[in-house]
Amino acid sequence: MTAGTMATRPAAPSHAKRNLALLGTALVVVWAFISVDIEWDELLTLPGSIGNLFYRMFLRDGLDWSYLPQAGAAMLDSIWIAWVGTIIGAILSLPIGFFGAKNVSSGLVSNVVRQVLNGIRAFPELVLVIVVFIPIAGLGPVAGALAVGLHSVGTLGKLTAEVVEGIDPGPVEAVRAAGGRPLQVQRWGVLPQVLPEIVAFWLYRFEINIRAAAVLGVVGAGGIGTVVQETIVYRRYDKAGVAIIVVIVATILVDLVSGWVRRRIIEGAGAKRVSGEDLVEQPETAEVKP
Amino acid sequence: MTAASEAGAGARPEKPPRSFAALAGLAAFAVITWFALSEDFGIGLDIGELIENATRGVDIWAEFMRPNWGFVPQTVDPMIETFQMAVIAAVVGCAVALPVSFLASRVTSPNLAAYLADRGVLSVVRAIPDILYALIFVAAVGIGPLAGMLALLFFNIGVVAKLLSETIDGVDTGPIEATRAAGGTGLQTSRWAVLPQVMPNYVAYSLYTFELNIRASTVIGIVGAGGIGQLLNTQRAFFRYDNLAVIIIELFVFVFVIELFSIWLRRRLV
Repeated sequence: MTAGTMATRPAAPSHAKRNLALLGTALVVVWAFISVDIEWDELLTLPGSIGNLFYRMFLRDGLDWSYLPQAGAAMLDSIWIAWVGTIIGAILSLPIGFFGAKNVSSGLVSNVVRQVLNGIRAFPELVLVIVVFIPIAGLGPVAGALAVGLHSVGTLGKLTAEVVEGIDPGPVEAVRAAGGRPLQVQRWGVLPQVLPEIVAFWLYRFEINIRAAAVLGVVGAGGIGTVVQETIVYRRYDKAGVAIIVVIVATILVDLVSGWVRRRIIEGAGAKRVSGEDLVEQPETAEVKP
Repeated sequence: MTAASEAGAGARPEKPPRSFAALAGLAAFAVITWFALSEDFGIGLDIGELIENATRGVDIWAEFMRPNWGFVPQTVDPMIETFQMAVIAAVVGCAVALPVSFLASRVTSPNLAAYLADRGVLSVVRAIPDILYALIFVAAVGIGPLAGMLALLFFNIGVVAKLLSETIDGVDTGPIEATRAAGGTGLQTSRWAVLPQVMPNYVAYSLYTFELNIRASTVIGIVGAGGIGQLLNTQRAFFRYDNLAVIIIELFVFVFVIELFSIWLRRRLV
């Protein structure tokens, strides 16, 4: 610094730590590639075997479209599981989210609630089904819906708490000044501010839960997962192909409808101005606060 | 606003009527929920029955409470395999997702056809859940970590490409104009004007998918795609809840450690 004549360049900042982290990461990656129990020359036959699977699925005898009603019914089951699971998650996470918000509950309570939510999120739905809900509800869609619901509480509770922490304190003070009791303050001062965003989260979670519910069947928790697994195990690829197409189409449809409703809730009915530009590009408006 | 002033002081302004859309939405919600809960059409959720049966799981849970710690050595190799699959899939998946996301953003996509085609493929890739990929690849290449790695790979491409293409949509356009004005081609613009802006996000998303992979690889193993999930499934089939408890506790710790490490690494790299 002191030697700073006009012409000398400042020393480049040290990248030693970053380079060390990069080197360490690279070593782990190389180790993983070398030591993993995969015969890498299998990759050469990979396009062939995937092509063969697709051939047997779609081309050899064609898809078995007579299987469509059965696959559709199973997918509908998955949608019901996701729906009920999302409702369970929404109902439970709303009060929990309020308790998890520092500005509404005390610091200690909110910390405890946050930690519990972190714990719930750590277990995937499939593990919850096996450990908690199949023992209670037996095999079937009810166990699936309960697992989806509990897992949703983990994420929805956290998001709700974060939204509640970001509110404008003005309305809260106003309700208090007008003599509102604590519960009334939450109902009239906080809830109207956060509800649109929270409902949007619920819908977003529903989209995620559709994907979860589509696979819970592999452990016997109902829905289309069972169908896909059985048809593949019995090598009825013509039927498995139909089931997979049903999953893809249903998931995309639900995403589209739910995404549209979300945008309407966040932006209001005025957002339905359709111009050519809107059709091409959909910016991430759902994240913008109302 | 004006209604209140017209009505004069003291009079309450009229409540705005409930919007038709909101009422229709509520009605649709009620009908769908009724279908979903009903015995005949939906899943047949009976809360009374559930409460009655809540104690049915007690015996099983009692076994969960006695983890068989002698089982730990047998879990080491599958756990390492899970880690390896997660690393490889994250590295390859993020590498593939980089060009894919540049094509999937209007800012950097060379033309509308490439943009729409890429978007279309991506929405199909993202609509297939990870376990479904695992089922498909187990059918194609057989049981083992290769199927699991491939399943995670596609899952990662979907996640990173979606997040990164949305980030690219939101970049500052100033550097892009500057590069164009200096005569940069489309590719050069992406490289010098866009990539430096999204690089921190890209690194963060890569680490995030790695964390997702650790969680996901526990479940894709259930259908035979290698790693700890496969072990979990065999123990489940034998009703060895004491061994299952060990696996689940290990997973919990493992995910926690990986998360801490990932946070540390993110701070170093970004």
